[in-house]
Amino acid sequence: MLNQDHPDDESLSALAAGDTDALNDVASSAHIASCDRCAGVVAELRMMRSALAEMPDVAPHRPLRLLPPVEADSPGTVDRLGQWAKRLFAPALTAGAALAMVGMVGTALPGLSGAQSGAGGAGSEDTRLQVEAASSQAAAVSEGQDMAPFATEEIGGSDSGSGDTASQATDAPAYGEGTTAGVDEGSSRDLGDTDAPGAVDAFQAERSPWPMVLFAGIALMIGAALLRWILVPRAT
Amino acid sequence: MAEPTETSRTARTPPLPDEAAVIARAAGGDRMAFTQLMEHYQSACYGLAWRLLSDPDKAADATQDAFIHAYKAIGGYRGGIFRSWLLRITANASYDIMRRAQRRPTSVLPDPEEGAPELPDPHAVNPHEEAARSELYRHLESALRLLPHDQRTAVVLCDVYGMDYNEVATMTHSALGTVKSRIHRGRLRLRELMAEHRELFTR
Repeated sequence: MLNQDHPDDESLSALAAGDTDALNDVASSAHIASCDRCAGVVAELRMMRSALAEMPDVAPHRPLRLLPPVEADSPGTVDRLGQWAKRLFAPALTAGAALAMVGMVGTALPGLSGAQSGAGGAGSEDTRLQVEAASSQAAAVSEGQDMAPFATEEIGGSDSGSGDTASQATDAPAYGEGTTAGVDEGSSRDLGDTDAPGAVDAFQAERSPWPMVLFAGIALMIGAALLRWILVPRAT
Repeated sequence: MAEPTETSRTARTPPLPDEAAVIARAAGGDRMAFTQLMEHYQSACYGLAWRLLSDPDKAADATQDAFIHAYKAIGGYRGGIFRSWLLRITANASYDIMRRAQRRPTSVLPDPEEGAPELPDPHAVNPHEEAARSELYRHLESALRLLPHDQRTAVVLCDVYGMDYNEVATMTHSALGTVKSRIHRGRLRLRELMAEHRELFTR
């Protein structure tokens, strides 16, 4: 057999591996059948492939972590909520404490400054003026309490003849000229249906924001602590 | 370079008796089932990584990476031979580490054809254990490490782990013709390297 008839080595490798293209190469297959040298190479390559395919597995030289850490998982909704609760806990607690402190000071300060208990909650200039107005109105009303029923009867039964009472008569029972003198219209409306001291208390309780601020601050702190306790997983 | 000792070489891992059920549980999020699978196949994965990377620590790292990838991917496992599926993941993880190593000049694996042939480290071989090793596999391991790394990668993936040419081409980002050429040249080079141990094939 002439050397130039030998298939190249890569063709012999393909034949040894049973590649379809090489097996379909009639000339190469015919050559192998008649060439001891090429048949020997193919047989040797086949044995080598067989040995390679049976090479054993190799145990790791050190212990391996068989399970990825839990952090490999993407965080679920509960985890994300927990992270938010954890992140927002400190700011919420601080804000709650600040609110509670302001509310507490605001509530306590008028008492400390010697103001009458009925005037609690007067913090701003406007409120203070309103409270003063209400107090003077209360005094005026108490002075004119005896007159008021008569004045009302008079107004109801006859023409008052007064320029101011014309407008007041539409909203509230008039107290007569003596009663309404020095009292603004809004206050007279508030006081229209009730006796004077009770009206002042209700007015002051409505207008005082400080207990509400104190309550909101405490509620914020409790809410933040509760959310953290519920949502943030605790170490076991 | 450290070589596996005889005691660390194990026969090829067969499938678990109830493998389909264990895989189904692992795919459903059962961490114990996943652990069982990885424990069973860790030697197969490590062996592949070690043959591709020729470095025990890198091989362990690649195997760990493969387990993480497998954990993320097992929910989408769609049947087939589980060992082959896991070995493909391991090969990809090993190849990633190989490419990272190639980008760092200090970590490049020596190419025996370009310089002095890389010989097994005589200090790493325990002479008492060496006597007990399977000669054929030992010589084959040594011969594989003497191949240029592209030929070694192709031969290991194709002939040792049974992947087809297309799979190897995809995994190594190479053209099909290039892969075939590397495999053929690698086999012929191995044959030359094993020439003096030829009689071991027929035992």
